[in-house]
Amino acid sequence: MKRRTHVALFATLMSATAFGQEVSLFGTTMAEMWKQDLPGFAKASYTPATQYLGIDATKLGSERLSLHLFGWGRTDLGEVSTIDGTKSGGYLNYGYLRYRFDQGNAELKAGRFTANQSTGFEQVDGFSARTDLVGGFTVSAFAGKPVLYKTVDPTAQKNYDFQRDLIFGTRLGWRIAKSGEIGLSYLQDGTKAAKDLTIPSPVDYTRKQVGADITLAPVSSFDLRGRTVFDIASRDLAPGAVSPSRIAEHDYSATVKLGQVAISGNFAERNFFAYFAGTNLPSLFRQDEKDLFKGWGGNITWNTPWAIQAVADYRHMHRELYGDVNRVGGELRWANSERKLLFGAAGHYVNAANVRLVDAAAPFRSLSHAEGRAWGIVNQGKLSLSVDAIIQRYRQANPYLNGLKYLHEVVGSLGYQATSNIKVSGDLSNGSTPVAKNETRGLLRAEYRFGFGKKGGQ
Amino acid sequence: MARKTVLQAFVIALGLGFLMACSLISPETSFAATHPEGVGAGRPTCSECHTTDLSKGALKPYAAMDHTPTFVKDHRFQAGQDANSCATCHGQSFCTDCHGGKVPMKPAVRLSDSPDRMAPHRGDYLTLHKLDGKMDPSSCYTCHGRANNDKCRACHR
Repeated sequence: MKRRTHVALFATLMSATAFGQEVSLFGTTMAEMWKQDLPGFAKASYTPATQYLGIDATKLGSERLSLHLFGWGRTDLGEVSTIDGTKSGGYLNYGYLRYRFDQGNAELKAGRFTANQSTGFEQVDGFSARTDLVGGFTVSAFAGKPVLYKTVDPTAQKNYDFQRDLIFGTRLGWRIAKSGEIGLSYLQDGTKAAKDLTIPSPVDYTRKQVGADITLAPVSSFDLRGRTVFDIASRDLAPGAVSPSRIAEHDYSATVKLGQVAISGNFAERNFFAYFAGTNLPSLFRQDEKDLFKGWGGNITWNTPWAIQAVADYRHMHRELYGDVNRVGGELRWANSERKLLFGAAGHYVNAANVRLVDAAAPFRSLSHAEGRAWGIVNQGKLSLSVDAIIQRYRQANPYLNGLKYLHEVVGSLGYQATSNIKVSGDLSNGSTPVAKNETRGLLRAEYRFGFGKKGGQ
Repeated sequence: MARKTVLQAFVIALGLGFLMACSLISPETSFAATHPEGVGAGRPTCSECHTTDLSKGALKPYAAMDHTPTFVKDHRFQAGQDANSCATCHGQSFCTDCHGGKVPMKPAVRLSDSPDRMAPHRGDYLTLHKLDGKMDPSSCYTCHGRANNDKCRACHR
């Protein structure tokens, strides 16, 4: 969408809020500050300021019509801190009108919104509709212009914009009381596949996917949910090449609750050729590797009688090209009944001893590391205090770490709730990274919410 | 002429289909637009209050919506099937904290005063992403690869 169209749409939607009988405005203003002194680079001071702003306006002439807007803008008050060299920027994350019907959870949306009822998670400038039908069926659909992002170079950008001319998706679900739900979905992103162009493009930004999802929840103590996604687009392969799997993803989780103990397991498999279809960063999310990821694991959660939640978790990850990784650890969380005191601690160990091709000098050990984290929140009257500390210890000198063995970051935040609608807070963080062996940053934050809104990120 | 006839037939079929679809809409009352009672901070356990009830409309036990660690991690499944039940408590901006398409800072910085919330990329993730990218790049693809590429593009061209 062109910038002036953006502005016109934003102005129109903003003016529409005047009709709202219940208007909620919420936002966060943030100012960060840090200084950089790196060998080989000039000293620099950065002070980027960021403004988030959202509006929920309901009852726009009708009880059922509402408007929702959210976006952000940023500018560098000092030197340019962005990687692409732009001093300021902004973005409309969503801006749509919604009409909710009284029955069947039916609703219509028009504008910029996020669609996630199909196989993907898409930002769309268009419209969507959904409703529950008789017999437990649900149907939803969306269509419009996909929100386009920057690609690596201008030539690729033209191709990307051209191929992704239209996006649409739909999902049909069937709910069975006390059993669960199954669904079938379809997503098409772009109608001009690379292979069909007059001059075929080396990169295909289009996608055609079919997905099947399931939830089984026959009793409150058990549920299984997951989905399988297929890439069904016709794609050209090099002569003699082995046809890769068209299963983009299997991803399933099951949970059994036994009193205060919940046991969960998960299995996921993703074939990169199919899963990364449509990427606009093909150099990183490489379909040509035709690699495969498989992961499985689980966790046990115990909600103890002492308001402590204890979690033990394990995950095994396998990549066909690189080898296997195991991650094991646990977490404790505690909160008092008024939630004025909250504490958490976690420890994990990642064993990547079998990962290959990472560093030729130490190919089998350099990824393994241990991670510890502790955090706490204290809310006392109008004051709030939080501390979050993370440390990672690597088993031996890692080629990525610039000679460091330990990396850490500690963030402290002090907040003051000036009124029920306004909170100001300041953060101070200190860390050690391979880029900056000693890094200290400051952040000031003002959050405010005015109006009638009762939800929106509690 | 033939094209016009096809178009007319299509419009009539669409109209009839629309009317038929209207008669098929569930008569059940929609979810409440807003949760009637205030829900406290932190991860709620829906089944604490909604004891044995099925969630009307979703037709699943409320326990299936308890915000357990697994639920928090795998909430995409719930959001794909029952986004309107999520919307009873969460505004769209709650999702946008992480799933923004294009965000000016990593969620861990935005939410640095809320360490109890799951916010991706806490700590020095610039280093860790090299490891995670080797272990499971498909987990990165949830947010990057088609959107949120600005920082990736600096090195990965």
